[in-house]
Amino acid sequence: MNDQDLKSLWQSTQVKMDQHGQIAKENQLAIRQLQISHFLHTMKPLKIFTLLMGILWVGIGGKVVLNIFIHAFDQANLFFLFSALIQIALTAIAIAVYIYQLILIYRIDISEPVLATQKKVARLRSSTLWVTKILFLQLPVWTTFYWNESMFDTSNLFLWCIQGMITTIFTVAAVWLFINIRFVNRDKFWFRWIFNGNEWDPILRAMELLHQINQYEESTEA
Amino acid sequence: MQHHQGILYRVALAYCSDDEDRKDLMQEMKLQVWEALPRYKEQAQISTWLYRVALNTALNFYRENKTKAKKKQLFQEDSLRVPFDDSPNREAMLQQLEQFIQELDPLDKALMVLYLEDKSQKEIADILGLSISNISTKVNRIKSRMKKRFTQFNPDPHE
Repeated sequence: MNDQDLKSLWQSTQVKMDQHGQIAKENQLAIRQLQISHFLHTMKPLKIFTLLMGILWVGIGGKVVLNIFIHAFDQANLFFLFSALIQIALTAIAIAVYIYQLILIYRIDISEPVLATQKKVARLRSSTLWVTKILFLQLPVWTTFYWNESMFDTSNLFLWCIQGMITTIFTVAAVWLFINIRFVNRDKFWFRWIFNGNEWDPILRAMELLHQINQYEESTEA
Repeated sequence: MQHHQGILYRVALAYCSDDEDRKDLMQEMKLQVWEALPRYKEQAQISTWLYRVALNTALNFYRENKTKAKKKQLFQEDSLRVPFDDSPNREAMLQQLEQFIQELDPLDKALMVLYLEDKSQKEIADILGLSISNISTKVNRIKSRMKKRFTQFNPDPHE
């Protein structure tokens, strides 16, 4: 079978479809229904809920921390204040990055050339990992917000050693994850363990596709 | 739109082996075509524009892994896959061709579909956004793989 036979075989699918009259009749109503269905399908309730909770957390938390800074800085527990500030700031950055990505993805014109479009989308999708990296940076402050000055006067050395160890482990883990959450580590056990689940599959596929696009461009340029 | 349904169908055929997924992808492509229509510039060829939208949608579909088959059908498509009753051999060949395409990576699939659609290298370059020489190299590579595959399954008695 030569190339031309294969092409006509492939294109014959359309001919047969036409002959059998199985092409669906589209109309305005069906398109409208489809648009509504599509809109609802893309609104994943859990994601929306998480995003709203995050915004609420940053809003309320930010207001409280700001008030303490302005009106009660002298009386405040500085460990709590700065831990909360770092946590809220990192959450706000993560939310902003996430929303910005969603907007950019939504605005991408899919009638542009395929490789360029896919590169943009895949790059944006895979950069969702940045949100996770930023959120991991919060780890150490969850071990410092409850510190206070009286702990320095009354606590014994043993408890401080334990506390110091916990904070150090969390800090090292946060920095290590921030540096190492990258595409090149996608096959590592710890990476698979963290990014296990349906929610992460599109991100991992986006990274894979981005890798393929780069290879594709490189191989054809060579 | 109906005139171009065949294009959408064949793109969906390349990216989805499952009937339900294929129908979902076709619906998604129709929606995307409909939504992108206001941005269509008349200086561009309609088929080039349509292939871009269809292939981009198919690749997005692949990436998002939308493989959950939905029962609800807004378009009354009982079965898009049409058996070739009159030529079982052609049907078998088509299945083989489909299987070959399914095994390609997502970008090669796009290239293969355009090649089988008999698009010129310039058109393929326009749709994918690569240079003609790049397309030529890639097409030759896939063609030789395809030839090898089909020779393996269907050795030509005249050779």
